[in-house]
Amino acid sequence: MKIDENVKSKEGLSAPFQPFGKTIPYIAAVGSLLFIWQIVAWILPEFLMPDVSQGLKRFIDNFSDPDFLNGLQSSLYRLAWGYPIACLLGAVLGLLGGVSKTFSVYLKSVVSILQSIPPITWVPFFVVLIGFGNLPIIFVITIASFFPMALSVLNATEGVNRTHLELARVMGANTRQLITKVYGPETLPAFVTGAQVAFGNAWRSLIAAEMVGGASAGLGWSISYAGEIADMEGVLASIVTIGTIAIILDHVVLNGIKRKLLKWRYTGGDEK
Amino acid sequence: MQTLQLKNVNKTFGNLKVLEDISLNVKKGEFAAIVGPSGCGKSTALRMFAGLETPSEGEVLANGKLVTEPDSNRVMIFQEHALYPWRTIEDNVRLGLELTNSPKNERRERVNRVLEKVGLDGFQTYYPHQLSGGMKQRASIARALVMDPEVLLLDEPYGALDAITRLTMQNELIKLWHGSNQTMLLITHDIDEALYLADRVFVMSSRPGKVVSEVQNEIPRPRDRNSVDFVKLRQEIMKSLDIN
Repeated sequence: MKIDENVKSKEGLSAPFQPFGKTIPYIAAVGSLLFIWQIVAWILPEFLMPDVSQGLKRFIDNFSDPDFLNGLQSSLYRLAWGYPIACLLGAVLGLLGGVSKTFSVYLKSVVSILQSIPPITWVPFFVVLIGFGNLPIIFVITIASFFPMALSVLNATEGVNRTHLELARVMGANTRQLITKVYGPETLPAFVTGAQVAFGNAWRSLIAAEMVGGASAGLGWSISYAGEIADMEGVLASIVTIGTIAIILDHVVLNGIKRKLLKWRYTGGDEK
Repeated sequence: MQTLQLKNVNKTFGNLKVLEDISLNVKKGEFAAIVGPSGCGKSTALRMFAGLETPSEGEVLANGKLVTEPDSNRVMIFQEHALYPWRTIEDNVRLGLELTNSPKNERRERVNRVLEKVGLDGFQTYYPHQLSGGMKQRASIARALVMDPEVLLLDEPYGALDAITRLTMQNELIKLWHGSNQTMLLITHDIDEALYLADRVFVMSSRPGKVVSEVQNEIPRPRDRNSVDFVKLRQEIMKSLDIN
C-alpha cells in the first residue's frame, strides 16, 4: 500500500515552550501603557503623577521592605488556600453535574444566582460572621472562583464524545477504564481552561476583598492604604506589583502546566 | 472464526419501529454487506452484533451464542474514525491492547506490525489531526486489526471520504481481508461498494427496516464494476429497492 495523500505539517511536533509566545507585540503592549503613564506624568504635577522611573523604582525597592513582603506573603497565603479549594470544589461539582441531569440543573441555578452577586459583597457578611482575618477573604476567593471551574468541567463531561465511549466499550473497556482512558483525558482541557478562568476571578476578588477591609495586611490593603495617605507612587507601585504577579502566575505557571498536559493541542497541523 | 445471526429481530425506540422481523445469516470468514438507504436501521442491526444495542424481540447470535455485551473478538469500525485526538497514532492503535491487558512487551511490536500492514509505518508519533481523512480511517482500521478480532463490523467506514480515496481504500480492505479468515460485515448506502466488496449482500428497505432481498455475489475478484454480471446484480438490488 502506498501513501498518496499529503501529510499535514509535522513541524512543531514538540513546539518549544514560550511563556510569552509572541514576544514583540507583548512588549509593545507593556510599553504603550507605560508611555501613557509617562505622558500624564509630564502634564500633571509630580505629587499627583510621579514619573514611570520613580514608580518602577518604588516597585523594586518594595521587595526589600519587610512590611511589603509581609503583605505579599499574606495575599499569596490566602490565594494558596482559596484558589485550590475552589478548583477542587468546582471540579467535583462539575463532574457530578456531568453525570446527573438533575444535579446539573441545580448547579447551573446556584451558579447563575451566585454570579449575579459580586463576590466582594460577601466580605461584610463573613466579617460579621467570623471576624477579620484570612478566613473571610479565603471564602470570598472560593465563592468567586469555583463556578468557572464547575461550569467548564460540567460542560466537558456532558459533552464527552459518544463514539469515543462506544469505541472503548466495543474494545472491551470496563467502567474504570472508561473513566481513565476516555472521560479523564477528554475533559482535561476543560479542567485546565476552567482553572485559568478561575485564577482570574480568584486574583481579582482577593485584591478587592483586601481593599474593602477584610484584613489589615496584603496587596489590596497596601494599595488602599497608600490611597488614603495620597501616596500616588505607592498606589502605582502596587498596581504594577498586582499586575506582574498575576501575569507571572497565569502566563508562566498555568500556561506552562497547560502546554505540558495538552501537548497534542500544540503540535502542527489543523483541525484540532 | 464466528458466524453472525439475527433471528426474527424487532427493534423499537419508543413509538418508532426501526427494525421489523429481520433475519440474516453471515457465515464464518465471509465478507457480507448490508446495503440500504439512510435511516433504514442497518446501523442498528450492526450495533446489535457489537453489543451496543439489544433487540426488543428476537435473538442476536454470534457463533450460536446470544450477544449480550461487547466482546473484543467483534470489533466495530465507526464512520467517524473516532481516533482519540490526545493520543498519537501508535497510542491510538495500542488502545485495545491496553484495555484487554495484553502482555506489555508484545504491544509495540504488534502495533508496528499492523501499522505497516495498513501502510502507516513511519507515522507512529503523529497526532490524528496531522493526517488526512484516508489515513485516519486506515489508523482506525489498524486499531481494530491489532486486536486480531474474529469479526470486523464496519459502519459506513468510507462514508466521510472523497470518492477517489474511497476506491483506493476498498482495494486495501479486500487485501487485508483476503486470507485472514475474518468475518466481515459492512454497512453501506453505496450499492457499488457493497457489490465490489461483499460476497453476500442484504438489501434493506426503510421505516421500518426489513430485509427485502439477499444477493449472492460470486463474481471473481478483482471485480470489474462495469462487467455484465456486476451491472446485472446492481439492477437486481435497485429493483428490490424500488429505484427505476
